[in-house]
Amino acid sequence: MNQTKCQGCEGAMEIRKNGCSYYVCKYTPLELMAAFEGEYSNLNHMPEGFELADQVINPNVCGFGKALMQSVMAGEVHELVLVNCCDTIRSVYDILRDSKKLDFLYMIDMLHSGWACSREQISAQLIAFAKAYRHYKGQEFDEAKFRAAFHPPKRLQEPHLSVLGARMGKQLFKMVQDCMPLPVQNDSCVNNRSVGEVMPPTLASLREELLQGTECSRTAAPEAAQSPRTDGDVLDSPAFARLMDWYAYELIKQIPCMRMMDKTGRRALLNDPNLKGIIYHTIKFCDFYSFEYADLRQHAPVPILKIESDYTTSSSGQLLTRLEAFAESIDPEELEGKKTNMGKGYFAGIDSGSTSTDVVILDKDNKMVCGIIVPTGAGAQNSAEKALEEALRQSGLARTDIDAMVTTGYGRTAIEDGDKSITEITCHARGAHFLEPEVRTVIDIGGQDSKVIRLDDKGNVINFVMNDKCAAGTGRFLEMMAHSLELSLEEMSLHGLNYKEDITISSMCSVFAQSEVVSLIAENKSTDDIVHGLNKSVAVKTSALVKRVGGEGKYMMTGGVSKNKGLVKTLEEKVGAPIIIREEAQLCGALGAALFARDMVKA
Amino acid sequence: MNITETFGQYVTKYTDRNPAQGRRLLKLGWEAQNFKFRHFPDQRLMPADRYLAQFMMESMLAPLKSPDHSAIVSIFVPCELLQEAGLHPYNAEAFSCYLEASRVERYCLQQTENDGLSETLCSYHRTFIGAAERGLMPKPKCIVYTNLTCDANLVTFRHLADLYHVPCFSIDVPMTMTEADISYVEKQLRDLKLWLEHETGKTIEEDKLRSRVERSRRTLMKFEQYQTAKAEKYVPTDLVTPLYSGMTNNILLGTEQNEHYVDLLNQDIKKAGPARGQRIYWMHTLPFWSDAVRSLLYFKEDAQIVGDELQSVCSSDFDPSNPYRAMASRMVHHALNGSIHRRIDNGIAHARALHADGVVWFNHWGCKHTLGGALLAKKKFEEVGLPCLLLDGDGCDRSHGGEGQTLTRLGAFLEMLEADKAKDSKEVSA
Repeated sequence: MNQTKCQGCEGAMEIRKNGCSYYVCKYTPLELMAAFEGEYSNLNHMPEGFELADQVINPNVCGFGKALMQSVMAGEVHELVLVNCCDTIRSVYDILRDSKKLDFLYMIDMLHSGWACSREQISAQLIAFAKAYRHYKGQEFDEAKFRAAFHPPKRLQEPHLSVLGARMGKQLFKMVQDCMPLPVQNDSCVNNRSVGEVMPPTLASLREELLQGTECSRTAAPEAAQSPRTDGDVLDSPAFARLMDWYAYELIKQIPCMRMMDKTGRRALLNDPNLKGIIYHTIKFCDFYSFEYADLRQHAPVPILKIESDYTTSSSGQLLTRLEAFAESIDPEELEGKKTNMGKGYFAGIDSGSTSTDVVILDKDNKMVCGIIVPTGAGAQNSAEKALEEALRQSGLARTDIDAMVTTGYGRTAIEDGDKSITEITCHARGAHFLEPEVRTVIDIGGQDSKVIRLDDKGNVINFVMNDKCAAGTGRFLEMMAHSLELSLEEMSLHGLNYKEDITISSMCSVFAQSEVVSLIAENKSTDDIVHGLNKSVAVKTSALVKRVGGEGKYMMTGGVSKNKGLVKTLEEKVGAPIIIREEAQLCGALGAALFARDMVKA
Repeated sequence: MNITETFGQYVTKYTDRNPAQGRRLLKLGWEAQNFKFRHFPDQRLMPADRYLAQFMMESMLAPLKSPDHSAIVSIFVPCELLQEAGLHPYNAEAFSCYLEASRVERYCLQQTENDGLSETLCSYHRTFIGAAERGLMPKPKCIVYTNLTCDANLVTFRHLADLYHVPCFSIDVPMTMTEADISYVEKQLRDLKLWLEHETGKTIEEDKLRSRVERSRRTLMKFEQYQTAKAEKYVPTDLVTPLYSGMTNNILLGTEQNEHYVDLLNQDIKKAGPARGQRIYWMHTLPFWSDAVRSLLYFKEDAQIVGDELQSVCSSDFDPSNPYRAMASRMVHHALNGSIHRRIDNGIAHARALHADGVVWFNHWGCKHTLGGALLAKKKFEEVGLPCLLLDGDGCDRSHGGEGQTLTRLGAFLEMLEADKAKDSKEVSA
């Protein structure tokens, strides 16, 4: 068996490769593991869910920690070498140690600073690890294999995008690569390991140095340096201690991760002249990287998109819209479909949302021939067909009269009839710019998500943010609360304008907020006051998104929630500026899609 | 609307207009509260805890009054060196508690949400960062923090140093506990001394430092005596007094006031009545703001918190003749350093010593160490016969509450303990 990276484990996690040690951190001494015939592999697989992990660890910890736990509990991992990366990994180690599920489990106490004393401590840790790993593997240290494991890291030399931030799971990274118009370098967490740029000194040369006393040894006592051992246990020899001292330095001098006390070296990740954009990834319940993102979003030299995953494959789908919108914003050619010739001169846009399906038909002069909104039933394709049929009927047109059709919204890819699909982010921006060219910030509160989009003076998307997976701050939240108050959404939109008491709904969780509303009803608080409290809750969430994206006037609100007068008023107070609400607000996405369809036809 | 909420609204309004005005109002409000503590203390508390409320308030006011002579610190930084350098400890977590109690926490938390900082970061840290960014917390002289024992420290204090443009010193504590590890921390503490002298221009005298660390040891020993005596006694308590211990037995260790407080405790315990009701040992922080917890444990004779994990995180077993090594040893052997098993074992030992009937492991939202070890802790406590409740919540951010759930869980746990006790006494009498 070769003492190299485990090829068998690079693929699916389902197959257990006997003798493969998994690791999770770039500070892991992989080359040392190779010296003991150890095969190793980066455990980077995203499970579908955390069914097994949730039985042994609280759900409110980092998704990667739970993914790790899930793999072990499922029997997919038998050897694991951890580094005390964070509190979650420390806990994972404690739980796994208690479970006795693994054949080999080890945690290296990587210190948080790179000064000389840390190097000494880490060097001692490496020797201790070497002894434990040797004992487990039953193999002696093989210097040739150690040296052979050093390879300079490969980096993209052409224009590319980078994934930065917290580690990105294998499946999500593949999705990113598939979406992006440029090659993508994975520089997140464990993936920017850079050990291997320099080859280690040989033990023979170190013995020679010690004999000659050419250098004062930090790790070996002076008397030992004068009489280095050439027999006995190599792991106890001064030369090996010196080799580990060198190796400790190679490990800690890498680009630091955010858990290190000095993070200035991370600037190197941004200095590549071929870097054209950043996809910044964070993991729910991993807090280290949001600080770097908060800084980068203001100072990044290239376009940046933030996405957050919970490290399951089920969360990846929700990120597709954001990734595609980012791809569209950095490469406008993405928006151009195959050009067709002008026929009857009609163009359609379909916005397939979670609550409604909207259709806009434009003529060749960009005049709206028809705009309809129908509730989304079961299946995006079915609803889109019905909506289009109705729009054609109202316009007195046939399907063949439509020269090009673009689909958008969460169900856009499910609609087979369209000529192209474009994200609702780009379409809302285009539609808003068409309606009001001076608009620079679009706020769209939809049924299942909220987004705030920043535009330039040509209507191009320059930045956007979306809410997380939680329903708080979305149209669904208001629907739930209206239900508790026994109001229709129309009735709810008028309440709250004339409130008397300024109630604050403190719970952010929709379920707890619903309980709070029920308590307020029991306390005989007026409906106006409660609705105002709810509007305030949504407005605060939305205004936080506006601030994060660097919102500037003029503001426009699109989507169905823009009809809610009470909410709009409260949101204007929080944003500190008037918000334009157009009659076509709910059709804005479909309008943008129809405009893109118009672009596809040669004039 | 109550007076605290109104006060909080005015503080936020003033801070929005002019942060200096907001700070002045906050200080004024806290001074008024301190006047109340001095002249109209809560008579339900015993004298030591009445003194403690005032001592704590003064510790909070000191950085507000003279921020140039204050150093922002994380909760487990040994502060004897800072005290000798003439710096008031300006503790982020404690300030967040007081900001919460002043009802300005949502205003501060909102700021961090606007910045895009993680909403799963510990709310004590988010509150303080938000207050700093809003200008409500004054600029300190410098910052000293340690990775012990919380990930959030590693990002929060660096962020604050960038924000305030002040020098920052970090103490790296290994999670293993060898003599080499203690030497590693000792070296850093010696460097800290030089660094503080450079930053303050004040010489730290070795003799005085030694005496101060000796006072720390004496204080801890007296506190251990108090805890032993408390096992058989009932000491009425509110929900903040157990939390104050996070300050007294850590940040404020080495001060004369702290030793005086512990002396008062030992006087009080002689007069305290016999133990009664359910005795709860609390692990981690406490949601003192929660009406649900208040309704069950606030000055109650049938159930009370008899001890908190943060009271007993290090022993008095250190040699003050080498104060640097003594402080280093305290950090390395800290109960929350390293494996969760150490923390659990420490909790078991203290819960037993205080004759606790049950343990509440408080799953403070955002504390990954506490959340990560929760299920293991429950198993280990129960294995030694200590019923354990895992209670989800947040010590500082009430938006992560769920008062109905808290009331049900904690109430049911107390009922269960009551039933167990009744069963035990029935078996004994049979």
